[in-house]
Amino acid sequence: MRQKSRLPLALSIPKTEDSRNEDGFYRSAKGVYALSDGASVSFDSASWARILVRHYARNPEFTHEWLSGAIAEFRKLYDRESLPWMQQASYDRGSFATLLGVRIVDEGGLIQILAIGDSLAVLCDGDCIKATFPFTAASAFTRSPQLLCTNPVGNAFLDEVDFAYDLVADWTFAGLKQPALLCMTDALGHWLLSQRDRNSSPISALRKVQTPRAFARFVHEERAAGRMKRDDTTLIALW
Amino acid sequence: MPYQAEISRDNPTCFLFVIDQSGSMDEITETGRSKADFVADVLNKTLYTLVTTCSKADGVRNYFDVGVIAYGGTEVVSGFGGALSGGIVHPISAISENTLRVEERQKKVDDGAGGILELKTKFPVWFDPKSVGGTPMRAALEMTRETVANWCEAHPASYPPTVLHVTDGQSTDGTPEEMADGLRRIATKDGQALLFNLHVTTQGGPEILFPTSETDLNDEHSRLLLRMSSPLPPHLAQFADDKGYAIADGSRGFIFNGDPQCIVDFFEIGTRPKLVADR
Repeated sequence: MRQKSRLPLALSIPKTEDSRNEDGFYRSAKGVYALSDGASVSFDSASWARILVRHYARNPEFTHEWLSGAIAEFRKLYDRESLPWMQQASYDRGSFATLLGVRIVDEGGLIQILAIGDSLAVLCDGDCIKATFPFTAASAFTRSPQLLCTNPVGNAFLDEVDFAYDLVADWTFAGLKQPALLCMTDALGHWLLSQRDRNSSPISALRKVQTPRAFARFVHEERAAGRMKRDDTTLIALW
Repeated sequence: MPYQAEISRDNPTCFLFVIDQSGSMDEITETGRSKADFVADVLNKTLYTLVTTCSKADGVRNYFDVGVIAYGGTEVVSGFGGALSGGIVHPISAISENTLRVEERQKKVDDGAGGILELKTKFPVWFDPKSVGGTPMRAALEMTRETVANWCEAHPASYPPTVLHVTDGQSTDGTPEEMADGLRRIATKDGQALLFNLHVTTQGGPEILFPTSETDLNDEHSRLLLRMSSPLPPHLAQFADDKGYAIADGSRGFIFNGDPQCIVDFFEIGTRPKLVADR
């Protein structure tokens, strides 16, 4: 098995040049990565996304208490009573974001993926896609994803979920000749799954992207060609 | 495919509410409130929801332009007061900044730990109930048609305007059908303007929800309103279906004699464009 305890590549660009990037990410050489895509039509999803990835970095065991702790941290950012009515209403409705967490154990003997929402993890061997989670088809991205919310009412869907089975996938690098692990937000995830059956491998295309400038050019070209949705776009890649 | 345009600050969409304020709107419904009072309340809540959708920590984003056209007696005017009364359509940020007043209400919310919490909530009011005189529906829809035409000319690439018309009666200034037909023919590159009609009544009898034909409608005025209504585009049909309504191919954006929940749903479904820019 190949040594995988090193810092992965992380690249991110906003929806437009003048907009705030509402994706948050974390990665460490110890094999813990997190990615969160904040929903732009919500109060402060950028802060919420950053809190979620920070919490995952501190403690990758996702539980109801974990989520309550993250919500409590978010609530410290604002004094609800002093907000103007329109922002108070938006604050009450909540801020929404995905969470994709990765924990690499035993040098890749076990890779544990946690996914809530439509950020995508991809396991590759060379240019071949071996597994994707939580979605396996591009069509899955057309449905509204369930996202983590700063208003507990918005997290009621978690009551119907078995965290250990429904939110988690266990992968391994064992047996792969050229293993790679990718984490990406939905615009890139949709692009990848809709391009996977083309002659030129989307993994091969992503592998060539090694710098922020190259990533920006790649995303701009795919957006211009109508193959990628205009959205904040983030990639964490362990090649 | 129409009705696919991404709604953004560069390409906003438009919601126009056309509200009957004729004398008969003061009739009391089974809820114990007048039709005018109930419609005003639902409209205020709808505006509140639209503003909330566009509000972020750093301000209100102009995803929507919004207008209210009120008609009653001999008047067809902007339904907004104060600084907004001078025009019909305003960006949502201007709507948020120009309320008639902000009331304080109590709201019960989940505390996240299995309990219920009472929260003080600020509730804005833009629109007060009013009911006077005749029903100049033709003139109101003529003003609506002009407003929609001007808006589409200025926003040729946008998701087209949605008009939600609420009335309880018969037009007293001639048939509005040709105005409605003209309105529905106005289009952006993303599709034709949408006109949905809500016929509120205290007559009793069955409610008719998103019908495909005139078959079950007994009076000529309801049939006219149905003919004036646009078919629901697929994403709105899906949303109505998700809310439990029986939707068929060709279902129109029309409700007759709906209960209070149907009226709330009519506004909610009508103001649900496909927000592609939601992430």
